[in-house]
Amino acid sequence: MTATPAPKGATFQDLILALQTYWSKHGCVVIQPLDMEVGAGTFHPATFLRAIGPESWKAAYVQPSRRPTDGRYGENPNRLQHYYQFQTVLKPSPDNIQELYLGSLEALGVDPLVHDIRFVEDNWESPTLGAWGLGWEVWLDGMEVSQFTYFQQVGGLECYPVTGELTYGLERLAMYIQDVDSVYDLIWATNSDGTSITYGDVFHQNEVEQSTYNFEHADVDHLFSVFDFHERECNKLLAANLPLPAYEQTLKASHTFNLLDARKAISVTERQRFILRVRTLTRGVAEAYLNSRAKLGFPLAEEGIRLEALAALEESK
Amino acid sequence: MATVDFLVELGTAELPPISLQKLSKAFSAGIMQGLKAELGKDAQTLLAACSVENFATPRRLAVKISGLIDEIPASVSSVQGPPLKICYDADGNPSKALIGFAKKNSVELEQLSERDGKINYTQQIAAKPLAALMPGIVEHSLSELPIAKRMRWGANKIEFVRPVQWLVMLFDERVIDCEILGVQAGNQTRGHRFHHQQPITINNPAEYEAKLQRAYVIANFSKRRDKIVTQVKQQAELINCIPHIEDDLLDEVTGLNEWPVALTGAFDKEFLSVPQEALILSMKEHQKYFYTTDEKGQLMPNFITISNIESKDVSKVIAGNEKVIRPRLADANFFFENDKKISLESRCEKLKKIIFQQQLGTVYAKSQRNAALASHIAGLIQGDQQKAQRAALLAKTDLVTDMVFEFTDLQGLMGYHYALNDGEDTEVAQAIFEQYLPKFAGDQLPATKTGLALALADRLDTLTGMFGIGQPPTGSKDPFALRRATVGVLRIIIEQKLDLDLKQLVELSVAQHEAIAAEDKAKVAKQVVLFMLERLRAYYEDGTIRIDTYLAVAALAPSRPLDFDQRVNAVEHFRSLAAAQSLTAANKRVSNILDKQSLDKQLPIDSALLTEAAEIELDHCLTALDAKLMPMFESSDYRGALTLLASLQQPIDHFFDNVMVMAEDPAVQKNRLALLQKLRQLFLRIADISLLN
Repeated sequence: MTATPAPKGATFQDLILALQTYWSKHGCVVIQPLDMEVGAGTFHPATFLRAIGPESWKAAYVQPSRRPTDGRYGENPNRLQHYYQFQTVLKPSPDNIQELYLGSLEALGVDPLVHDIRFVEDNWESPTLGAWGLGWEVWLDGMEVSQFTYFQQVGGLECYPVTGELTYGLERLAMYIQDVDSVYDLIWATNSDGTSITYGDVFHQNEVEQSTYNFEHADVDHLFSVFDFHERECNKLLAANLPLPAYEQTLKASHTFNLLDARKAISVTERQRFILRVRTLTRGVAEAYLNSRAKLGFPLAEEGIRLEALAALEESK
Repeated sequence: MATVDFLVELGTAELPPISLQKLSKAFSAGIMQGLKAELGKDAQTLLAACSVENFATPRRLAVKISGLIDEIPASVSSVQGPPLKICYDADGNPSKALIGFAKKNSVELEQLSERDGKINYTQQIAAKPLAALMPGIVEHSLSELPIAKRMRWGANKIEFVRPVQWLVMLFDERVIDCEILGVQAGNQTRGHRFHHQQPITINNPAEYEAKLQRAYVIANFSKRRDKIVTQVKQQAELINCIPHIEDDLLDEVTGLNEWPVALTGAFDKEFLSVPQEALILSMKEHQKYFYTTDEKGQLMPNFITISNIESKDVSKVIAGNEKVIRPRLADANFFFENDKKISLESRCEKLKKIIFQQQLGTVYAKSQRNAALASHIAGLIQGDQQKAQRAALLAKTDLVTDMVFEFTDLQGLMGYHYALNDGEDTEVAQAIFEQYLPKFAGDQLPATKTGLALALADRLDTLTGMFGIGQPPTGSKDPFALRRATVGVLRIIIEQKLDLDLKQLVELSVAQHEAIAAEDKAKVAKQVVLFMLERLRAYYEDGTIRIDTYLAVAALAPSRPLDFDQRVNAVEHFRSLAAAQSLTAANKRVSNILDKQSLDKQLPIDSALLTEAAEIELDHCLTALDAKLMPMFESSDYRGALTLLASLQQPIDHFFDNVMVMAEDPAVQKNRLALLQKLRQLFLRIADISLLN
């Protein structure tokens, strides 16, 4: 925990830079966001796909995330339909992963002897990703600022080695650090003349318009058919042995489902069926991805685990 | 034999707070069980002097046993073998029997001796140091912990609740050398995550608790819980409020701390206009805060939270918590205010878009069916049919409000508030809340007639619908919780004393389902009634009613639950009477006799054929009783009827002592059977007493 704390009153972008620097120092590949609509950083192939199979992996990145149902037309100071997550994945999860995480908070200027930091049980499950894991929400003075998960299963496949996933809610963390009550008041950047650009300047209009679209204009009938299309496309691509493009179709289907959900077009029972459909796709993708990596001989795996995994696959054939 | 203090502490990453106590108890119970198994038949005596103490915090499970014997004492085991005379043949060679015995005990013949004319194997079992056995005992106990989901971490295949980080295992000052769950045992533990970061050496088990205390860890769960209670009360006193400390929340919070420090925060008074259940839910479920009220039970704009740090700047921690709860309450407030803008009535249309179940149609369709059925039931229980209909039509509309979308637990309750806001009738509003009652075993029941009608209709509709489309609950699969729904219906009818017939209700409900083909309707109705009567068994099993009492009544399959219940209570009362046992035996006897005769209808009794004094007496008694019993049956006074029937004990005993039923003269025989038939029929108007044990 020797990182230099971020400057007091760190801007939103300082925060991102501080986290990138911290995790970069700890051996992570800093990659860029996925250029598609996803509900969370977990959907980025750098997490979902890399968690599958025996290969080692360390990465950190920002992921813009969309959750149409969370939109509040820019009126709620804490709820957004579009927001940012900072995601770190460490595979295999190191023994000192909690200490590493706490080190990152200190790098952001959080003093653990002033603030009440807690790891509170949180069992994560994503039915659409066929994934579950155990871990915690991390509370900072009662506020959930991160999620901490040890993946046990992804795409219906057992995880070995286990990926440790750390997800920071950037807006919440920033609101805390900058001590503001509304997300729109966050300082995003400071100009050279001392004036600043706020989160509201950057995103308020977007929240208003996108909420309106999500809740009022999204064409339900068309979305249903779009969902069907992506499902077909995914299956076609899986048959053609193209797991990566197939995965993108899954993401599109998943986001379409979220939009339909925001339009309250899906009942409780129907919901179950849609989730099952997406899960079937992600399972297909996970298996295809695992096989494609096996064909390459799992190049990023640690030697002992690599041989073990190849032998296990051979045996199951 | 010396005694030692034993300590085991498993250090982990933060454990789940709700299961912490359960894990802790199971851990020590498992260790004690393991010790008992090793110590054998003398375990009780050998362990009598030791005392066991459990410790549980988010980061550790520990057990200390003081005054534990340090070894399994030496013992002598003696096994008797075959008689000496069959052990050797005439030439003095060992027989098969002898060789077999030696083999079975894995000993050489020379090691055997003789005792009381038999071959004997006496073995001196040396004392065994317990230290060597402890790792196995601890490991086994850990593997048996009641863990819902075990997890793996890193690149290993070990599984536990959360990653395992260290292990302390001591016999007095001696470390028990072993490796469990991937960690090597030692004598170093860790203190509070932030207050005390240096490792702590535990020199002997006796100093464990005190050393941790100095490192900002209250290791004992109940001491920590007590401290929290004291602190919460102190905080509440400072702001002149009454704290509400619910046990489940208290336990959970205790499981989230090693060094609890209670702090009080406040929120804007304006939020108090939101139904307080929503605010309490926000505080409790999301933030694990204790809420406070004034003397009248009105929520106060404060909360008490338990932090896990002696902060260098307490105000920052409080401000942080206030910052968290504000948006949560603001959300609740926003939903409430926004929801109120649209009346429940105008939300009905929206229910057309929500599928209740694919084959059973939309929630709108269900509401329509509920309305018809609820109205009918209201008529049967002298309620207001129009109110029942209205309540049913509005009952599900709160499902499309933002508040319920966000806090599902508030369904019904929000409907109640919104209905009042819309100016609906109070009883209609009340019924919308009551439709989901009882929510769990022992929960309150609907109180209004409209609520009763709606609660019954909603459950019956789901029940008949799911059976109708061929999806009754099977094994552990009961996605619509039909079993619970059924017990709900039964409880409501019985405990609110409603004179309703399941058969009639179910038929009414089945008739409304378009998804059930006309020709299947009768069959489905029968199935559902049968299922419901079977659930009565579960209902009674939870109470004090003996199962054979239930069976005696169930044999008659009365389809009015209240009537069923009156019979059950009558039989239970009957069983407390002195005459019960002999009458039960008599009923069994009569039942056996009649079963062999396969009589299909009541035979006439010819009093001219009655000759024996005992049968004449019985006939007189039956005739006299008959007249008195009829009005009792009419008014369902089964208890009175059975008490009266108990007076038959003597005449029946006399009858069986003195009268030969299977008389030679067929006419006399037939007449006596007729008498028994009549007797049996009288009991069967209430229950089949012959089924009692």
